[in-house]
Amino acid sequence: MANSNLPRRIIKETQRLLSEPAPGISASPSEDNMRYFNVMILGPTQSPYEGGVFKLELFLPEEYPMAAPKVRFLTKIYHPNIDKLGRICLDILKDKWSPALQIRTVLLSIQALLSAPNPDDPLSENIAKHWKSNEAEAVETAKEWTRLYASGV
Amino acid sequence: MEAKITIPDDAMRIDTFQPIIAPDSLEPSTPCSPSRYPEARMSSSPPMTVKKTVTSTGARISTRIKQECQESDDMEAADALKPTVALKKSASDMVNEHREHLQAEKAKEMANEEVEESGSDIGSNRGFRLKEESHLGIEEKVQAQENPYTGLSYDEYRDYKREQKMADNKVVEAGSGIRSIPGFIEKEESEEIKPDLGPERKVHEEDVKMAVKGELCVGFMGSEDSADKEFAEYIRAKGWRSTANEKYHTSQTKEERPEEANDAESGFLSGCMVKQDPEIDSNTQIKEMLCLAKPVSSGPAASVNAFSSMVRGHTAKKERVEDRSLSTVLIEDGDFPEEPDWLLVGRTAITGLSTAKGRKLENNEIVHIVFPTGDARFKQSGIVRFSTKRSGEIGRLPMEWAKCLTPLVNSSKVKVLCRCVAAPLNLHLMQEILLYASFYIHRSVLTEDDKSSWRLDASPNIDSTIYPLLTLFNLLKIKPFQKAEFTPEELNSRKRVLNLEVDVAEAVSVLPMVKRQKGSQQYLEPNKDEQAISESSLNKLVGAAEVYNLEEMEPPCTLMCDLRPYQKQALYWMSESEKGIDVEKAAETLHPCWAAFHICDERASAIYVNNFSGEATTQFPAATQMARGGILADAMGLGKTVMTIALILARTGRGSPEDEDSNSEDEVDTQYLKKERRNSEKKVRSKVRGGTLIVCPMALLSQWNDELETHSKPGSVSVCVHYGGVRSNDPEVIAEPDIVLTTYGVLTAAYKIDGEYSIFHKVDWYRVVLDEAHTIKSSRTQDLYSLLCFLHVEPWCNWAWWSKLIQKPYENGDHRGLKLIKAILRPLMLRRTKDSKDKLGRPILVLPPTDIQVIECEQSEGEHDFYDALFRRSKVQFDQFVAQGKVLHNYANILELLLRLRQCCNHPFLVMSRGDSQQFADLNKLARRFLETNPDSATSNQRAPTRAYVEEVVEGIRKGENTECPICLESADDPVLTPCAHRMCRECLLSSWRSPAIGLCPICRQLLKKNELITCPSENRFRVDINKNWKESSKVLKLLECLERVIQSGEKCIVFSQWTSFMDLLEIPLKRRGIGFLRFDGKLSQKHRERVLKEFTETSENMVLLMSLKAGGVGLNLTAASNVFLMDPWWNPAVEEQAIMRIHRIGQKRTVRVRRFIVKDTVEERMQQVQARKQRMIAGALTDEEVRSARLEELKMLFR
Repeated sequence: MANSNLPRRIIKETQRLLSEPAPGISASPSEDNMRYFNVMILGPTQSPYEGGVFKLELFLPEEYPMAAPKVRFLTKIYHPNIDKLGRICLDILKDKWSPALQIRTVLLSIQALLSAPNPDDPLSENIAKHWKSNEAEAVETAKEWTRLYASGV
Repeated sequence: MEAKITIPDDAMRIDTFQPIIAPDSLEPSTPCSPSRYPEARMSSSPPMTVKKTVTSTGARISTRIKQECQESDDMEAADALKPTVALKKSASDMVNEHREHLQAEKAKEMANEEVEESGSDIGSNRGFRLKEESHLGIEEKVQAQENPYTGLSYDEYRDYKREQKMADNKVVEAGSGIRSIPGFIEKEESEEIKPDLGPERKVHEEDVKMAVKGELCVGFMGSEDSADKEFAEYIRAKGWRSTANEKYHTSQTKEERPEEANDAESGFLSGCMVKQDPEIDSNTQIKEMLCLAKPVSSGPAASVNAFSSMVRGHTAKKERVEDRSLSTVLIEDGDFPEEPDWLLVGRTAITGLSTAKGRKLENNEIVHIVFPTGDARFKQSGIVRFSTKRSGEIGRLPMEWAKCLTPLVNSSKVKVLCRCVAAPLNLHLMQEILLYASFYIHRSVLTEDDKSSWRLDASPNIDSTIYPLLTLFNLLKIKPFQKAEFTPEELNSRKRVLNLEVDVAEAVSVLPMVKRQKGSQQYLEPNKDEQAISESSLNKLVGAAEVYNLEEMEPPCTLMCDLRPYQKQALYWMSESEKGIDVEKAAETLHPCWAAFHICDERASAIYVNNFSGEATTQFPAATQMARGGILADAMGLGKTVMTIALILARTGRGSPEDEDSNSEDEVDTQYLKKERRNSEKKVRSKVRGGTLIVCPMALLSQWNDELETHSKPGSVSVCVHYGGVRSNDPEVIAEPDIVLTTYGVLTAAYKIDGEYSIFHKVDWYRVVLDEAHTIKSSRTQDLYSLLCFLHVEPWCNWAWWSKLIQKPYENGDHRGLKLIKAILRPLMLRRTKDSKDKLGRPILVLPPTDIQVIECEQSEGEHDFYDALFRRSKVQFDQFVAQGKVLHNYANILELLLRLRQCCNHPFLVMSRGDSQQFADLNKLARRFLETNPDSATSNQRAPTRAYVEEVVEGIRKGENTECPICLESADDPVLTPCAHRMCRECLLSSWRSPAIGLCPICRQLLKKNELITCPSENRFRVDINKNWKESSKVLKLLECLERVIQSGEKCIVFSQWTSFMDLLEIPLKRRGIGFLRFDGKLSQKHRERVLKEFTETSENMVLLMSLKAGGVGLNLTAASNVFLMDPWWNPAVEEQAIMRIHRIGQKRTVRVRRFIVKDTVEERMQQVQARKQRMIAGALTDEEVRSARLEELKMLFR
């Protein structure tokens, strides 16, 4: 039922995601709901998340592309802009959403967010505090978490 | 019966039992402790309960064992196990490690079955060996070892079997080792003399028991000597003498120990502990011992002492146990006492079948029923056995009883007490035993104060529609004193007086809609509107021609318009169905899905059981819980909105916790609402009481608002539109007005953000109105299901029933499902059409007639040549797809080919606009304008695009590069250039804005104003200069002729087309000929739409309205016009029908003239044929495969 009225745009995006995936990112729609994507993002090199494979879920709401997709980390991650439920603090997923953005760009942005944590606009206060007070240590923790939760699948 | 006590007087033999008496023998932790025994017996003791093949195999096995018994060779006895082991191995071969999980499962099941079989096998063997070797200690272990089977995986089981076999061999050795023990051998011999005893030791136990109870028939056993031996057997069987034997062995046969230790090491002795309450078990023991104590007391002093010391040692336990155990002993053949907590449901005779042989059962003897416990796999076999205290298992209950009783008893809310009333004196296998059973239900079920709905989990399958309690009542022949109005049986047999006499062909006509949606390429359907079901199909679905004989209800004085009689009827119907039945009446009326039963026990009140859900309760299930509200499904144009407004005015109210919200109206449901409603029941407590919530599509929002305004007396109701940026988040605020208008989109969004805590959930609505569903029209039964859920229509809101009786038959093409839907909907739905008649046979609504004509257009030569060229080009492409066998994979491409052909029928320019690239003379002008306006614009403070970038963009446009719109990802349709030099579809851009005139650029987030957008190329949407080169197509020419004629007569016209680009084209000749027109299409904002419609209705300046069918299809009232021009055929005629209905409805005073334009010898004409063909095909239900090939056929038809 959920798939019968799938807009052309979603179909197109899906086809493109599958045929020419962005480097370090894989997103494939769920079989029973074409609006639900299983996403994997490789931790960017030279970030504390390097070597990690992070699972995310992405859901395209009814209003998409007029409303932002809902994205959440499923893999535990130590990141000031990602809370323990995996929710992501990223402006383009909230008020800065634009219909010109796509699943691909959203995921690339998230990947970029991994490379450049922004403790000044935190979602997870504790982690952000940690990051600000002792970045080296926070990075170590992030690496540790990556090793613990995101290595292998 | 007189109690005759037979006392074994041979002191010597009693002495052998002495070790039993030691109190520590009762310790449950001893490896062979008795606590394990009862279940061991359950799984192993009945030698004849070979699963499934009781008669044949069972008999055969027993014979074989008998023979082996006569040969009296232990090795052979052990060999008897071999067939099972072999079997197992073959099964293990099957379990190929690489095979699928499924197979493994299967094997497990098989293994499981074998467990049962081999269990009984072993039982027989053991029964035999027992007599042969008397190596009781080890025997016990073997017994105990059998338990783990049920919990073992197949492999474990196999391993276990090996060990078992080894153990058996050990037993054999051990057995021979102690063969020399005097006394036992003697007994052995004495038994072999009695051939009719059979191999089961049970017989002995029973006999001993009889002896104990003083009911021994001396003639049967022949001698006291043997009775004495039975006595020994009995004690052993009771479990506690196994330890005794161990002790016995310890003292007498030292060589025994290593073997036992060995056995213990095999791991199953402690691992296989049975989940048996050790206390109860020891209670039983004490009880038994007490029985024994009596006869023994007159025996030799030693044993008496021993017994009494044992009894003393357990005084504390004994006393606690005594009441119970003693009473049990007493009632073994007595009456069942009345227990305060257990209420008698009823009594009945049950015919069980014996699984034991011999003289085991006395009339009036109490039998105990053993139910399979929680283990799911064990449950599967579902066999319920019964036994007696003295003889163990006797037989099994018939399956119907077993199935029904197992869940009931396992819920511990029901218990069964049972006695034998008639049985053959000497039992054989599979003989009938007549039992008389009393069924009790626990008081707690009937007295719990809360809403005490008690539902048994009948089976792990939630779809199950079989409920044990009902079955029990059935089996007990307890008739409900008040029958349920609806019963599953009636539905199953369809004997119910439901009006099911529907023309099958008619009924089926809506089926293929479902089929089609199941197709793999559903999103590539020519158009999703195709899924709209035609009015006539809906008529067929719900049966509209019916005459409703309803009372009329006068509308309230606050309603500012007159209602027609049928509308007054609807008002009456709605307010009645809103109330449910008369509230007082309803409170006393039994809910139609529930039946009321009286059980035997007079202390109990009535029990109500829901025939559909299996719930049971003592609370009177009143009809007030039933669905309130209904579906007002009158055909378009009968004034549903006005009727609903009348209802709201007549019954303004507030939601209240007691008076749950009611609903009325249309054919919609969304699952959010379903939840909302369910929620409103659960969490009514802290809610604000609201008025009526009206949910409608966005397009109808203003119409609702307008109609509320015009039809209600000023000040009579307050209305609030909960839509757009200004909406409040405070439930208090939206609960304030009498009426809240909102859209499905808002509702959906609210639900998605806040789930069940959305603002809509925080208000307890008095009434919820769902307008204009898109559910029934897509005819998916599941959607109908959610609608019924929304309305709380029982039993159909129970998924199991819905799925079983409607969904599945429907999906399988069984029309009965559809018939049932009709029957369900009938009382819930009020549906009249324009053709409905009142009770006097007059039409309920007299509308002016419609005059529908097809206008055939003939292409001019030039037009035809162009079309022909296009057609040939398209056909080549199509044929390629056909040759490659990839037609359906290229469905979208083919539709595009067809689209061009269809557009070409309207006007060749439409196709040319997409054709060859052509230089645009005015592109430079465009670029200039673009560069000039930018610095002057209000947003000039923003970063302007570089000149180079702009030039690049303009160059791109000049070259005819059609870029992809970044929003819809299609090549931009009616593209605009933003001041920041980004290109996208106008519609996409505007719809991404929150306000109509201003918004952000989706690409660079620059603030844009609508008037800054540069239409790109606005006059150049067509790649020929259409103004300069304007030439009417034959169709446009015909249209213009018609328009001019009509306008002269002063009537207004609506021109429908599917393509806005065609409307763009039409503007040229209309302007040239000075025909005033308005446009209404998807690009208009809500405000604009209102203005356009108002202008068209109220002024006569613009007599023509160009309307896109998509925008104008739903809900709009366009009765100002009386002429409809359908410029291009749709794939689905139902969409056209809908459009016509917008004009041909209440308020229409003139004949409605409909003109459909078809160009001869083109794809349009063939589309008509395909449509006709579709209609024919619809009559037969097609499989997905057939649908696919039919689709291919259709396409081929179009390209013929």
